[in-house]
Amino acid sequence: MSNEVRLEVQDVSKTFGITKAVQHVSEKFYKGEIHALIGENGSGKSTLTNMLTGIYTKDSGKFILDGVEVNAKNQVDANNHGIAIIVQELGTLDGLTVADNIFLGHEDLFVKHGIKNTGAMNKKANELLKQYGFDRIKASDYVDDYNFEDRKLVEIVKSTYFKPKVLVVDETTTALSQEGREELYKVMNQVRDYGGTVIFISHDLPEVLEKSDRITILRDGVYIGCVKSSDVTENDLKRLMVGREVTGDYYRADYGEPVSKEVTLSVKNVTVPGKIEDVSFDLHKGEILGFGGLSESGMHEVGKAIFGASYDRTGTVTLADGTQINDIPTAIKHSIAYTSKDRDNESVVMNQSIGDNIVLPSLDDLGIGPLKIQSDKKLKAFAEKYAKELSVKMVDTNQFVSELSGGNKQKVVLARWVGKDSDIVVLDSPTRGIDIKVKQDIYQLMNQMRKNGKSIIMISEELMELIGMCDRIIIMKDGKISGELERRRDLSENDLIASMV
Amino acid sequence: MNNKAKTAELSKDEQLKKASTMAAVRAMLPIIGLVLIFIWFNFRTGGRMISNLSLALSSVYSLMIASTGVFFIMTMGGLDFSQGSILGIASIVICYVSQKAPIPVAIISGIAAGAAIGAINGFFYVNRKIKSFIVTICTMFLFRGIIKYLTSKAPVTGSASLSLFYDTVPIKLGCMLLVVAIGFFFFRFTKFGTYLKAIGAGEKAAKYAGIRTDRMKFLIYILSGAITGFAAFVSVLHTGSVTSSGGNQLETQILIALVLGGMPISGGAKVRFENIIVGSLLYTVLQSGLTMIGYTTQTMQLIEGVIFLAFVYIFADRQSLSVIK
Repeated sequence: MSNEVRLEVQDVSKTFGITKAVQHVSEKFYKGEIHALIGENGSGKSTLTNMLTGIYTKDSGKFILDGVEVNAKNQVDANNHGIAIIVQELGTLDGLTVADNIFLGHEDLFVKHGIKNTGAMNKKANELLKQYGFDRIKASDYVDDYNFEDRKLVEIVKSTYFKPKVLVVDETTTALSQEGREELYKVMNQVRDYGGTVIFISHDLPEVLEKSDRITILRDGVYIGCVKSSDVTENDLKRLMVGREVTGDYYRADYGEPVSKEVTLSVKNVTVPGKIEDVSFDLHKGEILGFGGLSESGMHEVGKAIFGASYDRTGTVTLADGTQINDIPTAIKHSIAYTSKDRDNESVVMNQSIGDNIVLPSLDDLGIGPLKIQSDKKLKAFAEKYAKELSVKMVDTNQFVSELSGGNKQKVVLARWVGKDSDIVVLDSPTRGIDIKVKQDIYQLMNQMRKNGKSIIMISEELMELIGMCDRIIIMKDGKISGELERRRDLSENDLIASMV
Repeated sequence: MNNKAKTAELSKDEQLKKASTMAAVRAMLPIIGLVLIFIWFNFRTGGRMISNLSLALSSVYSLMIASTGVFFIMTMGGLDFSQGSILGIASIVICYVSQKAPIPVAIISGIAAGAAIGAINGFFYVNRKIKSFIVTICTMFLFRGIIKYLTSKAPVTGSASLSLFYDTVPIKLGCMLLVVAIGFFFFRFTKFGTYLKAIGAGEKAAKYAGIRTDRMKFLIYILSGAITGFAAFVSVLHTGSVTSSGGNQLETQILIALVLGGMPISGGAKVRFENIIVGSLLYTVLQSGLTMIGYTTQTMQLIEGVIFLAFVYIFADRQSLSVIK
């Protein structure tokens, strides 16, 4: 890190109606530093960087880049000023090739006499992909052919190939597996090494501490302070973000508690073509069983297979009473719950009310008589009870789920299954993209459920939460089980990674 | 990008307010519209509409019955353009059977014929995963062809008892009320309605919440075909026979009626059962009013087209809310 200022944010504000999203924020970003920006959901991190990159317009204040004020009109304009962003959600466009996506808005580079030279563009894109070490991605392929992770890699190339002066990484890492993260870190370090500035937004505090040089904290749109990463601990950061001491346990505190021998669910020789191969394990009463691995290891499919949602599955999933689970309705009827990693598509019905989302699987239980006649009052009372129990932040249960933040959507899904009183709960990436306060709520809920004798399967890409929460962790690699670890105090991420790669 | 910037200028509160105003407009506009055009037509025709009410509403019975089935399909986010052909085929079956067997048998045959075509639609839509509007446009042409073939020499005439004994307002009204009442009960007070709305609002998530979405979709197409088969009975009472144009354009009439009634084209959580009733009445009043005033068919189509477009514009569900992070 040098002492030359790269970017100066001067008194920037932005309001959305009555919401003051960012209030008079000022900060200096130096050349050659990775500068983290942290804060809870809604603290204004993304709003600030979105103004810098031209996604939003600012109300007042200035962004001064290398001594010159910049007012980016849109992302392409920002790129021309040397500012790039990797966004949280999918930032590549369907129906275009990888090369098209990389050079989106900069096609002029390859246009001669009004004709685009696609061959030259693909060649250049392939060269870039090779430079980054992403050879397996081909420039001429449609980006649709690649999975979320690879598309993120394409986005990394897209936003950094022109050596930006400022690179914003907006909560990208939570969507990536360990492997993808490493690639991203590498690129971030490169930007720092050539004197660029990385603005790094992440909810993952250990990652923030490890990767960044300095950390700026925002709370409710207000600038709280800037600290050196080497001077603070995770707890300091939590306190700064929340504005008070984070009390109570974060993960589980107990160690060495024996797990019941009673098997509630037995998975035998389960294979899903192209996804998982010959997976067998038992789940015990009151146990939290973790599944870890790289994103493509097949661990996400394990959850689907248990819930009867996989296609062409072979092998058996059997409950303690001998019931075989082969489809979703049977699974739900026999007290299995599942929350998907793909929250918006597979967990919540987005364009429906919170109330309907909560009561959906319980309608049969709530109906009266052989026709299962539904009473509005009863449904509403049921939805309200569990929405309150999970403290969903909402206007009322008639509010649509699409209006909620990621953390609150997850709470709606959990409220649904707590309401259904499921005994076996399969949680796939339950805390993805969720801030600490809600994360803590979810961990405490899991702990409570465990104590009440529920069995939980937790599939996660965040190794720390697996280590913190699980009685046992099964590691997956290339669709097969590659290792199993028991809960113990000195378990480290490296123990897990050893079986993952 | 422009759009995004625009929505960003509105605060979440303002957006919520806007959305709830929109919901109120959605709910009230069709009813107000119905009352207003009813008054206006009576004024223009010197009260002839009220005095000839049963004539003015003669086509509402089969329309409202058939709309009930399509309402279920559209709630799930599907479409059905084969309704006119289903009505035509079912009418032919009813007429034919009524000549040889008692009327109840004829009714059941009509329902069965409708259900069979619905099953064909459902099979291609669900099992072969072809978009519903493509499947039903195909079956529309297919069965229209069969109708034309069967009626090429002469119209198929039903038993005389059909129009002699059964063509009364109480029977037709009774049939309509029966279907609407049963439909309303199941849609509003059992899980049936919630399930349909969930499928329309997010099929994948609905599946993960335990709804057998494929089975449901298939059965709804059969149900809708069966209901239209019953509508064919009511329609035959009025006409007595089926020509090659029997049931022609019913699908568009239903679509227009439902949209006029405030139904969002994409289905989902915002549909209301009232859409069927208000919509069918609105459409029928509009149609007979324009006829009574003396407009030609061409002018009527033009006016209807303009009104339809205006309603679609108002009710189209353009993701009115975007979430600000």
